[in-house]
Amino acid sequence: MPDEVPIAQTETTSAFPVPQVASPDTSPPSDRHRRDALALTIAAAAWFLPGLGHAFLKMWGRALVCFFTVALLVVLGAGMRGNIFSRNGEDAFARLGYVADLGAGIFYFVAQALETNGPDVSHANGDYGTRLLATAGVLNMLAALHAYEVTRARKA
Amino acid sequence: MMPAHEFKLSHFQAMVIFALVISVAFGFLSRRSAYHRAKYIVWSFILFIVIGVGIGWAMYPFSH
Repeated sequence: MPDEVPIAQTETTSAFPVPQVASPDTSPPSDRHRRDALALTIAAAAWFLPGLGHAFLKMWGRALVCFFTVALLVVLGAGMRGNIFSRNGEDAFARLGYVADLGAGIFYFVAQALETNGPDVSHANGDYGTRLLATAGVLNMLAALHAYEVTRARKA
Repeated sequence: MMPAHEFKLSHFQAMVIFALVISVAFGFLSRRSAYHRAKYIVWSFILFIVIGVGIGWAMYPFSH
């Protein structure tokens, strides 16, 4: 496919020593452990503040898009009075919803702060808001996974 | 009266915003060049809308 650029041909733009080869890893175990720890740290940063992981990797476009898409979804979801699931979910769906919402990192608490009147899912509007909030979390988790994979040189 | 920070969107408006935001995010995460990103974003946005409206019409007979 013409869209796929082999990783070995790309220029390095990272602030961290990210290897640029996708071939089997032949680096010493200590290097691999250090890179794994770095990848986990970047993934945690990407989860906590959407876009921060990509910003550490100097992928500015992706960082901005991650931040603003998650922010927009959270602001809209909270503005539509969607349900923000709490830790004390009474069933499996509520707990799953909590995991999805928490995926937005710091924006989970922003959503709680924005939604001063509480959720209102008695109308379709609130139900759409619930979906947008969950989408923001899942999208941010996907972005964090992408940052993790880039750091481990599995993706370009 | 609705507070300033509250939104009231129709189903179609919510679907269009969702499709646009997800298309842009996926385009930036999965493609590297500006041209391929734009192509991906436009295509996935169109497909989101067409499939969403298509599923809506496919369910229409069951609601009557």
